[in-house]
Amino acid sequence: MILSARDVQVEIASTPILHGADLHVAAGELVAVVGPNGAGKSTLARAVAGLQRLAGGSVHWGEEDLADLRPRRLAHLRAFVPQRPSVPAGVTVRDAVRIGRSPHVGPLQRMTRGDHDAVARAITRAGADGFEERMLTTLSGGELQRVQIAVALAQEAPALIADEPTSHLDLGAAAGVARLLRGLADEGLAVVLVVHDLALAAAVADRVVVMAAGRTVADGPAHDVLHAERIAEVWHVDAALERDADGRTALRVGWLNPTVSSLDMTPRKDLVSP
Amino acid sequence: MSSVSVADVAAAPRAARLSARQALVVGVAGALLVAAVAASLTLGAVHIPLSRVIDALLGHAEAGPLRQIVLDLRLPRTVEAMAVGAALGVAGALLQGALANPLASPDVIGVTGGAGFGAILILLVFPSSIALLPAGALLFGLVAAALVFVVAWAGPNPGGITRLILAGIAISALFSAAMSALMAWRPDRVPSAIFFLVGGLTTSGWSQLEVVWPYLAAGFALALVLVRPLDRLALGDDVAASLGVRPRTIRLGAGVAAALLAASAAAIAGLVAFVGLFVPHVVRLASRSAGNWFVVPVSALCGALLLLAGDTLARTVLAPIELPVGPLMVVLGVPVFLWLLRRAT
Repeated sequence: MILSARDVQVEIASTPILHGADLHVAAGELVAVVGPNGAGKSTLARAVAGLQRLAGGSVHWGEEDLADLRPRRLAHLRAFVPQRPSVPAGVTVRDAVRIGRSPHVGPLQRMTRGDHDAVARAITRAGADGFEERMLTTLSGGELQRVQIAVALAQEAPALIADEPTSHLDLGAAAGVARLLRGLADEGLAVVLVVHDLALAAAVADRVVVMAAGRTVADGPAHDVLHAERIAEVWHVDAALERDADGRTALRVGWLNPTVSSLDMTPRKDLVSP
Repeated sequence: MSSVSVADVAAAPRAARLSARQALVVGVAGALLVAAVAASLTLGAVHIPLSRVIDALLGHAEAGPLRQIVLDLRLPRTVEAMAVGAALGVAGALLQGALANPLASPDVIGVTGGAGFGAILILLVFPSSIALLPAGALLFGLVAAALVFVVAWAGPNPGGITRLILAGIAISALFSAAMSALMAWRPDRVPSAIFFLVGGLTTSGWSQLEVVWPYLAAGFALALVLVRPLDRLALGDDVAASLGVRPRTIRLGAGVAAALLAASAAAIAGLVAFVGLFVPHVVRLASRSAGNWFVVPVSALCGALLLLAGDTLARTVLAPIELPVGPLMVVLGVPVFLWLLRRAT
């Protein structure tokens, strides 16, 4: 396992956000983390990435305990693509990807030839070549997301955590990012993808981790864990995931069908799909 | 082209290099600074030809009034002007970079308010100890900044940008109020403080630099160390933290460096306004680049140039009357700034 997180608990300003979440990812595996808004998906991603202090539980990257890892060492073990990146003025795509290389460059050192090569490889692999010299402020949402992934790839870490990279993208750009992340996993990277779109998660992920109310409630192949009962229980929606022989996935949603009272937010175990 | 020659490979980007526009900005500012140094040393109540100035600087001139004017009066003032300008330019560039806020200047971390209070305290309450003025301005400038950092780094979310800026505004307001209260209490002595409040250099030999040089040196050294780490904050604190950079530590370091530089500048030249805000923007707009590795050092160069040229003008255009350099620079600088701003994309 590249990442093993057990019973992760997080409090933000004394309010418990995560009550007990587990996440395990191996090399070459793409794990999608799904769940309703506020379930703690992003908090779990940030906690395992070392960006959020743990109130309990444990996170190990390889054999190393997150609590003992220095930030710079951690940056060699995992890359993190945040949900809302800053888009500063006057910074080109290449400048941005160079920042991603900084764990390999000392505070007072200059980049070596090897570092420049790694930056160029990351730009090419993320499909950001062709606009390396453009300013970040001039990019489309899809281009910007590719640059964010290139920044992460420049770290050359064996794991990549992406927090809702497709949320604001159109269909084509979202599919592009999905293919990119699947390709990276096929090349041996361990990938954690926080995502809202269940059809996309089912199509790209080896395993899906479902979160609800600060806990992980299911972990397994998409067709095993994203069945209609669980979708009703966790999202309070009548919906079914389908997959055809060509690998197309769809979420068939009974948008107006009743499941549980919208006022009763506690998951109901007794619900059975029609 | 099907093959890549050895020359192409050798020319591959080795490190961030200057663009043509960046090189032009450095070249023009450097040449103008040399010209401003020459003007500052030769012009004045007594015109001293450049050849005699060079002789004096190299120690070839025989002892006499000309040598004395160059070495004891004009050289210290020239060095002071460049030090103050460079310090303010670097302080502004560091703060704008560290706080990711284009409105940041030494005012926002309380230094200006504190230094103003320190100087007014000496001038109005202890006028017989006027020699302590630079030390007082320096001390209270640093005390104000320290208070801002303590407030901003205590409690949850230490070192957040909004908290730092609000703490700076509050502490500044406190020291400004104390300064106003002192002025209302001793209005008869306020005229002696005007020169400090508007900002300007005096011909007083090396005495002021002797007090502040260690603080200036420490500020410049810290700024130099922070230039590259600052660039790693550009994509936001989350990305920086995930890369193993410590955004809050870097921000604190940049704040301390800016406080040392701005308090030293105030100790020498009073409350010179606008330079810290204005110079880094001019550098960015003229060079069309935002990297701190370029903006911070070139802000030192352009700050030194602006203050030295402004001071030379201020003491020669209406000689023997000396205009205060602070307001003069604002009057000269604002049109340039607005012109660049209009052309900015």
